[in-house]
Amino acid sequence: MLRKIAYRFGTAALTLIGVTALMFVLIQLAPGSPIADAEDGLTPLTESERIALERMWRLDQPLPTQYLGWLGDLARGDLGNSIRDRRPVSERIGERLPLTLILNGSALLVLLLVAVPLGAAAALQPNSRLDRWSATWSYTLYAIPVFWAALMLQRLFAVRLGWLPLSGTGSDGLPLIQHLVLPVSCLSYGGVAYVSRFVRANLIESTPPEALRSARARGMTQLSILYRHGFRLAAVPLLTLAGFLIPAMIAGSVVVESVFQLPGLGTLFLDAAYQRDLPVLLAMTLLSGAATLAGIAFSDIAYSLFDPRVRRG
Amino acid sequence: MDNSNRRRSFLHNRSLRAGLLALILLSLFAAIAPALSNDPYQVDLSVTLEPPSSSHLLGTDALGRDVAARIAYGARVSLGVALMTALLSLLIGAPLGVAAGYRGGWIDAIVSRCIESVACIPTLLLAISLLAVSPASLRQLPDVLRVAIVLAFGGWIPVARYLRGEFMRLRSSALVESARASGAGEWRIVVHHLLPAAMAPIWVTAAFAAAAAIMVEAVLSFLGLGVQPPQPTWGGLLSEAREQINSGWWLALTPGLALFLSVWGFNQLGEGLRQWQDPRSTRR
Repeated sequence: MLRKIAYRFGTAALTLIGVTALMFVLIQLAPGSPIADAEDGLTPLTESERIALERMWRLDQPLPTQYLGWLGDLARGDLGNSIRDRRPVSERIGERLPLTLILNGSALLVLLLVAVPLGAAAALQPNSRLDRWSATWSYTLYAIPVFWAALMLQRLFAVRLGWLPLSGTGSDGLPLIQHLVLPVSCLSYGGVAYVSRFVRANLIESTPPEALRSARARGMTQLSILYRHGFRLAAVPLLTLAGFLIPAMIAGSVVVESVFQLPGLGTLFLDAAYQRDLPVLLAMTLLSGAATLAGIAFSDIAYSLFDPRVRRG
Repeated sequence: MDNSNRRRSFLHNRSLRAGLLALILLSLFAAIAPALSNDPYQVDLSVTLEPPSSSHLLGTDALGRDVAARIAYGARVSLGVALMTALLSLLIGAPLGVAAGYRGGWIDAIVSRCIESVACIPTLLLAISLLAVSPASLRQLPDVLRVAIVLAFGGWIPVARYLRGEFMRLRSSALVESARASGAGEWRIVVHHLLPAAMAPIWVTAAFAAAAAIMVEAVLSFLGLGVQPPQPTWGGLLSEAREQINSGWWLALTPGLALFLSVWGFNQLGEGLRQWQDPRSTRR
C-alpha cells in the first residue's frame, strides 16, 4: 500500500517536472527579452533592478542552466517578482487566493447538493420520466456557455429586478454573500450534468435491481436503501471526481471572476495575460497544474485505500 | 449487428438526428452569410441599438451594424475553428497515440508523460498563456488558424490517450497475428488492419473536441484574446453586449443562442455516434 502511494507520488512529481519543462518552453517562445518587457510602457528600470532581473532570468547563462536554476528557485518557493508591480508573485497570489477558494468551495458545495440527490433519484428509477428529464436538462445546461449565462443573469437579477449586485465584492456595503450568489450559480451549473450522471451510473452499478427489490420487500425506505446499499459503495468513485472537477473549476473561475469583476486568482491570471506579465502567468499555470495533479493523486490514493479489490491488486 | 441494420439505425438515433439537424442549420446559416442583404462591417450611426425589425431582423449594435449578419459571419469563425482544431488534434494525436500503444517501450514512456503533463493544465489556461506569450511565428498567422493551433495544443490529448489504449489492446489480438501470418508488414498492419478497427470511436472524440473548441474559442474572443475585432465572432459579440448592460437585450441573447446551439449540436452528434457504434448501447 505504502509502496503504491509512493509510486503514485513519484509519477506525479515526474509529471510536474514535465509541466515545468512545458512552462519553460513557453518562456523561450516569448519574443523579446523580459527586461524590455519590464520597461515596456513603464518607468525605466534602475541599474540594481536590471541586475536583479537579469539574475532572476539568468539571461547570461546557457538554457539548461537557466532551466535548472529556475527549478531550484521554484523548489525554494521563489516564484520571482511580477514584471508589472515588481512585487513577489507569491505575495500577489496569497492575497488573491482566499476569494477564489471561497468562490470555488461554495460552488462545489452547491454542485454536490444539487447533483447528488438528482443522480440518486434518477438511479432509483432508471429510465423513468424523472431520469430522462434530468438527463436532457443536465446536458442542456452543460452546453450553455458560462459567460453567456452570467450576462443574462446579470441583466435579469441585477439590472432588471435589482435584487443582486452587478459585480465586485462589496465596496457598495452589501455583504459578500450577496455578491457571490450569481458567480457561484454560474460556476456550479455546468458540472451538474457530469456529476449527477456519474452518481446515477455508480449507484445503479452498486445497487442491482434485485437488491433494490428485496430491500423494498423488507420494508426499507428509498432513502435508507440508497444510504445503506448505494452510497457506501459509490462513495469511493465519487472521490475520483476530484480529478475531473478541479481543472474544470479552475477554468470556470477565470471566466466567472472576469465577468463579475472579482479580485481572485482568475482575474490575476487574466491581467497577467493582458499585460504579458510572464512570472505571474507561469506561476498561475504551474499552480493550476499542481492543483489538478494533487486532485488526481488524491482520488487515486483514496480509491486504493477504500476499495479492497484495488488494494489487494 | 450486420451492416444494413447498422446503416438503418444511423438515422434512427435521436441524438444523432438532433445534432446533425442543428449543425446543418448552422452551416447553412454560415454559407448564406454573404447573401444576407446587410454588411456585417457597415457602420450606420443613424440606426444604433435598434431592436429587431424588418430591415434588421436581429436588431443593430452600438455602431448600427446588423446583428444578424454579424452572427452569420461569426458562425464561419466558430465552425472554422472547430473543424480545424479537430483536424489538427487528430493529426497530432493519432500518430503519437498509435506509436505509443503499438510500440510501447520508451516511446510509450515519453508520450505518456507528455500526455499527463499537458493534460493537467486546463485547456483554457494553456490557450490563454500561449496567446499571451504569442511567439512571432504564431502572431503572423490569421486569427482563426492561430486560435485553432493554440487549442490543438491541448486538443490532441484525448485522441492520443484513446488510440494508445486501443492499440495496446489490439497489438496482441488475433487481428495482428493473422495479418502478420499472411505476410503483412508492420506499417500495413497498423494502417490497413488496426486503424479501421479503431476509427469509429475517433469520430466520437472529434465531435466532442469540436464542441469544446467552439466553447473555448468563444471564451477567448469574449476575453479579447482570440479572434480580434472588427471580425465578428460570437464571443466578441457577447463581449460588446456586456458593455450595453442596460439596453439592447437582443445583443446578448442571439449570439449566445447560436453558441449554445452549436456546442449542443456537436455534443449530441458525439453522443449519438457513441451510441450508434457501441453495440451494447440500448438507446438507439
